[in-house]
Amino acid sequence: MDAIWQNLPVILVGLRLTIQYSIVAIILMVVIGLIAALMRLSKFAPLRWIATAYVEIFRSTPLLVQLFFIVLGLPAILPVNEWFGQLWYPILAAALTLSLNEGAYVTEIIRAGILGVDRGQKEAAQSIGMNGFQTMRYIVLPQAFKRMIPPLVNQAAQTIKDTSLLAPVGIAELVYKGEIVIAETFASFAIWGLIAVLYFILIFLLSKFSSYLERRLQVDKR
Amino acid sequence: MINVRNLHKSFGHSEILKGISTHVEEKEVVVVIGPSGSGKSTFLRCLNGLETATSGEIEIAGMTLTDPKTNIHKLRQHVGMVFQQFNLFKHLTILENITIGPRKVKKIPAEEANRIARELLAKVGLVGKETNYPDELSGGQQQRVAIARALAMGPNVMLFDEPTSALDPEMVGEVLQVMKALAVEGMTMVVVTHEMGFAREVGHRVIFMDDGLILEEGPPKELFSNPQRNRTKSFLAKIL
Repeated sequence: MDAIWQNLPVILVGLRLTIQYSIVAIILMVVIGLIAALMRLSKFAPLRWIATAYVEIFRSTPLLVQLFFIVLGLPAILPVNEWFGQLWYPILAAALTLSLNEGAYVTEIIRAGILGVDRGQKEAAQSIGMNGFQTMRYIVLPQAFKRMIPPLVNQAAQTIKDTSLLAPVGIAELVYKGEIVIAETFASFAIWGLIAVLYFILIFLLSKFSSYLERRLQVDKR
Repeated sequence: MINVRNLHKSFGHSEILKGISTHVEEKEVVVVIGPSGSGKSTFLRCLNGLETATSGEIEIAGMTLTDPKTNIHKLRQHVGMVFQQFNLFKHLTILENITIGPRKVKKIPAEEANRIARELLAKVGLVGKETNYPDELSGGQQQRVAIARALAMGPNVMLFDEPTSALDPEMVGEVLQVMKALAVEGMTMVVVTHEMGFAREVGHRVIFMDDGLILEEGPPKELFSNPQRNRTKSFLAKIL
């Protein structure tokens, strides 16, 4: 117990970093996923190919390997550390890699959501003169978004947990800080337990927020 | 108002329309009948570009639909469409369903769009439903909203694709009544339907389609009482 209380400030710094990486990655994964999903549904074939290649590459290799490759591998052949700064490159690269990885899954969630909207909705929008953008923006996406909430929340929970993989490539966050504390105190049981509880709380809050969101949309909008 | 010349439409290897030519005058009400699979819905959907003609020429509301240079979105503002399944926007209220076209496509200010929408709701007999969602309305009410939504764009032509086929029998009348009022006002209409009563009463001309072709056309009285082709006779015998 002492180990927990004495090192709580360090652990909480880690928690704050984990929350920051999670928020950035969740926002970026949705933006990336939306763009890639629209590309996959585009009439223009090269856009479809690029988006499909992106999804397949990021889904078919482990996130940990992607992180090692981009954060630690890339600087071996490119002067990225000079371009972005020795301090900033690993942080930016890790956040972006995580976002791209999660975005690949989000692409499929959003694509399925868009395809799940009844074709008649799109035709009705076209019949009153809406162009492709207006049809997407005002008719298809608002309806698709509602059914995308559960799988998106699922993916967001996954993303929070996946930030723990930033530790092995040397990015400070909750697990990284925990390892430091354990190295000094040898209190592995207490610290790992605490870390697990903190992740649990984060994701529990997220799922509470999501059921609130779903309830609201259900009541207001059919 | 509408001019169709030698319209062909194929899906893959199956040819659905095999050379349709016809002409619709301004203020004319044309009723298209025929067995299912005869291509009547496909024909109607070609008229506002929901299906792209394989070959042939369509002129509608002063624009050439089959010309690749024609702005299809602009054209559709002049050609209203009512669907069998209503296709109201599920996430929008009744009022929003009607105003979204004028507001987003024609960039009419919200107040003006709301005013138009309320007038149209009065016209289709649905005052008081403004804040409801489509799911809360009966099929007949939804279809009347769908008509109002199409009218809100101020179309020159209205296309109806089996507008009463998905309705419970007791709701068919209320929709037909709205359509009849529209015809009386002088709207140019093309109606695909199985409602022979409506065809007889409101239609100026009936087109009988079978197997992707117009087999016979004429004023409803003549076509119904004295069909010339055997195929028309047997179809009418089954349905009348």
